[in-house]
Amino acid sequence: MAENNQPRIGVFLCHCGTNIAGSLSINDIIEYAKTLPYVVHSDEYQYMCSTPGQGKIVEAIAEHNLTGIVVAACTPSLHEPTFRVATKEGGLNPFRFEMANIREQNSWVHMHGMWDEATSKAKDQVRMAVAKAALLEDLIPKSVPVEPAAMVVGAGVGGIQAALDLASAGIKTYLVERTPTVGGRMSQLDKTFPTLDCSQCILTPKMVDVGRHPNIELLTYHEVESVEGYIGNFEVTLKKKARGVLSPEEGRAIGVDGCNGCGDCAEVCPVIKPNPFEMGMAPRKAIYIYHAQVMPLIFTIDFDSCVKCNLCVDICGTKKAIDLEMKDEFPVYKIGTVILATGFELIPIEEKKEWGYKRYENVIHGLEFERLICASGPTGGHLIRPSDGATPKRVGFVLCAGSRDNAPGIGKPYCSRFCCMYSLKHAHQIMEKIEGVEPYIFYMDIRSFGKMYEEFYYRIQNEGAKFIRGRVANILEDPKTKNLHVFTEDTLLGRPVDIELDLVVLASAVKPNDGADVVRKKFGVSASQDGWMLEAHPKLNPCGTTTAGVFLAGVCQGPKDIPDTVAQAEGAASAASIPIHCGEVELEPYFAICLEDLCAGCGMCTNLCPYSALALTIKNDRMVMEVTEAKCKGCGTCGGFCPGGAIKMQHFTSQQIVAQIDAYLLGGE
Amino acid sequence: MHEFALFLGCIAPNRYPGCEAAAIKTSEKLGIKLLPLKGASCCPAPGAFGSIDLKVWYAMAARNLCLAEEMGKDIALVCNGCYKSIFEVNHILKHDEKLRNGVNEVLKEIDMEYKGSIDVFHLAELLYDERFCGVRKIRDSVTTPLKGAKIACHYGCHLTKPAKERVFKSKELLNTECPTWFEELVEATGATAVEYRNKMQCCGAGGGVRGYDIVHALDITNEKLINITEVEADAITEVCPFCQLQFDRGQIEIEEKFGDRYGIPVLHYCELLGLAQGMSPQDLALDLHAIDCTPFLEKVL
Amino acid sequence: MAAKSYDNPELDQKLKDTYYRLGDSNPEFSKNILETSRTLANMCYQCGTCTGSCPSAPRSSYRIRKFMRRNVFGLEDEALTDPDLWLCTTCYSCSDRCPRDIAPTDVIMAMRNMAFKRDIIPKNFLMTVKLIYDSGHGVPNNDANRDARARLGLDRDPPTTHTYTEYMQGIRKIIDSCDLKANADRILGE
Repeated sequence: MAENNQPRIGVFLCHCGTNIAGSLSINDIIEYAKTLPYVVHSDEYQYMCSTPGQGKIVEAIAEHNLTGIVVAACTPSLHEPTFRVATKEGGLNPFRFEMANIREQNSWVHMHGMWDEATSKAKDQVRMAVAKAALLEDLIPKSVPVEPAAMVVGAGVGGIQAALDLASAGIKTYLVERTPTVGGRMSQLDKTFPTLDCSQCILTPKMVDVGRHPNIELLTYHEVESVEGYIGNFEVTLKKKARGVLSPEEGRAIGVDGCNGCGDCAEVCPVIKPNPFEMGMAPRKAIYIYHAQVMPLIFTIDFDSCVKCNLCVDICGTKKAIDLEMKDEFPVYKIGTVILATGFELIPIEEKKEWGYKRYENVIHGLEFERLICASGPTGGHLIRPSDGATPKRVGFVLCAGSRDNAPGIGKPYCSRFCCMYSLKHAHQIMEKIEGVEPYIFYMDIRSFGKMYEEFYYRIQNEGAKFIRGRVANILEDPKTKNLHVFTEDTLLGRPVDIELDLVVLASAVKPNDGADVVRKKFGVSASQDGWMLEAHPKLNPCGTTTAGVFLAGVCQGPKDIPDTVAQAEGAASAASIPIHCGEVELEPYFAICLEDLCAGCGMCTNLCPYSALALTIKNDRMVMEVTEAKCKGCGTCGGFCPGGAIKMQHFTSQQIVAQIDAYLLGGE
Repeated sequence: MHEFALFLGCIAPNRYPGCEAAAIKTSEKLGIKLLPLKGASCCPAPGAFGSIDLKVWYAMAARNLCLAEEMGKDIALVCNGCYKSIFEVNHILKHDEKLRNGVNEVLKEIDMEYKGSIDVFHLAELLYDERFCGVRKIRDSVTTPLKGAKIACHYGCHLTKPAKERVFKSKELLNTECPTWFEELVEATGATAVEYRNKMQCCGAGGGVRGYDIVHALDITNEKLINITEVEADAITEVCPFCQLQFDRGQIEIEEKFGDRYGIPVLHYCELLGLAQGMSPQDLALDLHAIDCTPFLEKVL
Repeated sequence: MAAKSYDNPELDQKLKDTYYRLGDSNPEFSKNILETSRTLANMCYQCGTCTGSCPSAPRSSYRIRKFMRRNVFGLEDEALTDPDLWLCTTCYSCSDRCPRDIAPTDVIMAMRNMAFKRDIIPKNFLMTVKLIYDSGHGVPNNDANRDARARLGLDRDPPTTHTYTEYMQGIRKIIDSCDLKANADRILGE
């Protein structure tokens, strides 16, 4: 391997087809590169990432005895790993590689009529990359062992599937759910499109499976309190909310039976509250279960409404399952990887005042409809008008209720992706259940893109649903009959319409679940512009995040229906299992190094570090700072701040950065 | 005492002078002094003028704004149409340098310069705003509560719409679907505000339609009158003399054109408040109204 | 295809080509609308919320959505020569509810401005200009009203341009800056 004191740099330019070569002069840049200090070789190729392209790097290292490689191509997030491997294959340390992004940061933004300017800018970029490459050092990545356990946060269908996959792959999995039962939104649905399976029927087997899988520890009524650590070594503190009821396992530990789900307690409980599982349309007691199929079948006390009358304690008797003095606990779990599956909720659609939700009794939203049409719901599956309990004969379905909405306020600019299909399903369900009913679907576009979805649209149209192509402008209520007048334009006829309906169902837009943002930030996951959790790459890493070891499943990453959620959950489980099965992970060697000779031990950096990676320690009778390498993310906060210049950021050293700035400011033609 | 330059517009001073008189007198009792804005013109009419040449509309409205800038007073006004011109042009010119420069080039010819140094308020907005007045203060000022009167509120359009071009301290004023702030103001006079179908609908007169196609405009007004009659309102109140004209004279025209007769008095809120504060129908020149107010007055006074 | 003609005006009218062709669009028109309207007129996705909100739609053939479409497609003639253009009451209900955050009302206003440039304008609009040019008021004072004002203790004329007539010169200058009065007179004279 060559000595670094005489750098020998090879520069390689990628055409990326015409992506780059179509907007700037590859030849000019190649010729220019040859004139730069330390550059002893330069070459170009159609696609540097291809096998022949990489081969050029490998060959040139040997042939020209190179010490550093510069590839001017696309973005490091796409192909830095590719070229590092090539650099390594050629016999160099892989960190002797530097990339100049002349595609995203150049050719793509200077596509039209800026040939000379783009070429000139690319020369600057190459010159800067060469300046840094000349100063690159060998770095050795560090490996850390991985805790052989995973956590899934959120136990809807996505979280359930992810947990089952992880557990079945032999990994100890903690499934965390903030409500008292697993099941999530899917358990609230009556049927699923387009197959019309009973939602509960296909979900409950999975709910039962997570309950009894030996590798799954079900942590319902738990929330994430705090997170420390990094991939392979997360320490997650959960808040085990006081449930007031002991599970059989908890009971056994202190020699009592614990809860057997008999329900005697709820029978005698005098406090009545709305059941959120039924969207508040049915009552529950202060000691309650959401519904008959809950997992685990353990009652929960709502301490905000419990009056501590002790009737439940008395009736529970010798089982001694109830503890009215129970307090929150904060257990800590060590895990290697985590999957977030925190799901969604509906936007507060009452804020779109023109549609009258919460003002007009007979305007409901999609989830309320699901409960009202569900045989296990508050009306036993008989769809009724909330105002008078009558069976509606004309029902309107308002699509894009707050979706695809760029106006300021509660609306969302994105498509919520499953409302078209569930509204078609709703139309089918009422036609199936109510003789002579007329469903009116107000839509802009029917987005039936999934497998057998368009066929389902065909079927519902054939069953007699009426489609009106117009977004609903407003709804007025007849104060006497409580009927609703829906106003829009049938844009295909070009006529304004005023349709009198008995019931209107708003297909409300969805948004990240309340609290998802808090969980997200605790795990260091970003949000995209629309508020959903941000995947590492929208195409090539849709389950990963920019925080190593943290993965996403389901709607928390963006609206998706059940099959897409389950597919992503399986993908996330697979991705999350990889580090655990490998047993150890390599950390990028970008951590800070304390130059102890220069460190004054002032400790100011320790407070600045966002990852708690720095601490003061005594070495050779002197107070100096010490870096926990595994915790350090290489963000550079400390290095930029240190008044004595005693912190070296590996791979982004001050000298390397200054050399790039100098190359930019002093160089050029 | 809060002082404002009163921008009169056209219809209040030149058709319903009781509205002007009432605005000045009722406000004074509530701690708001309305000073004459000398040399003001038409706002100019946003529908008619804006339809022809928006640049002239900006410049004409800016001239009126300059008069208040020279006085050093914020503007208060009593008409939704004026509000659209005066508030919106002020708002637009404050934020759009290019337009401002263009307008100032025109104004330079007449030795004026728009600076963007004042704010514009509708009197109704001031009355509802606790910083200036507030509902309670109105209630306290009432000496002759309008007990037993059922009043239908017509909000009109240009005070609050489009909401995205409006800046109000009270969020309630940004609700353009089902607001109740006007009803609150009415109930402060002792009257009962009644809800009616589609109350946020336009009177039909705006955008030059009253002049372009009177039957079309009246058909919209008629729809509103049908809805208002349905809830047996004794009177209509509004905060826009142009809407007032459309409902008041419009009822005569509706009878002529369609044969429908309603006879519902139409009072600007300032007139209504004037009655509640003890002003006589003569003080308000209610005899100038096309629709006879006598049955209503007999009910409330 | 060459323009067809049957040398028979009746047949030519009955069988006139109704194809939309790219040449029918005038992109400059859309650009002007975008600038004058100060709203994202090009972003309309034709949902119909505007027409559904429109008080004029249910009593006429006026469809504000169609005007939005004509703008997107640059169909200048079709937009400016349609008499429905003048049926918008500018109530702004469409603008309040538009999910694309467009103000369709302002698109209509911009189209009316462009129609005026082609001398297409209903007379009543021009009458308002004349009245303001003469007195400063679109609705000027009259004697019956002067008497009523006096009874109320108000000045017979309000403290506007009616009293301070010296301001009229400035107002006329502003209106003349775009030859508005001259054009109005010319169109009304024709």
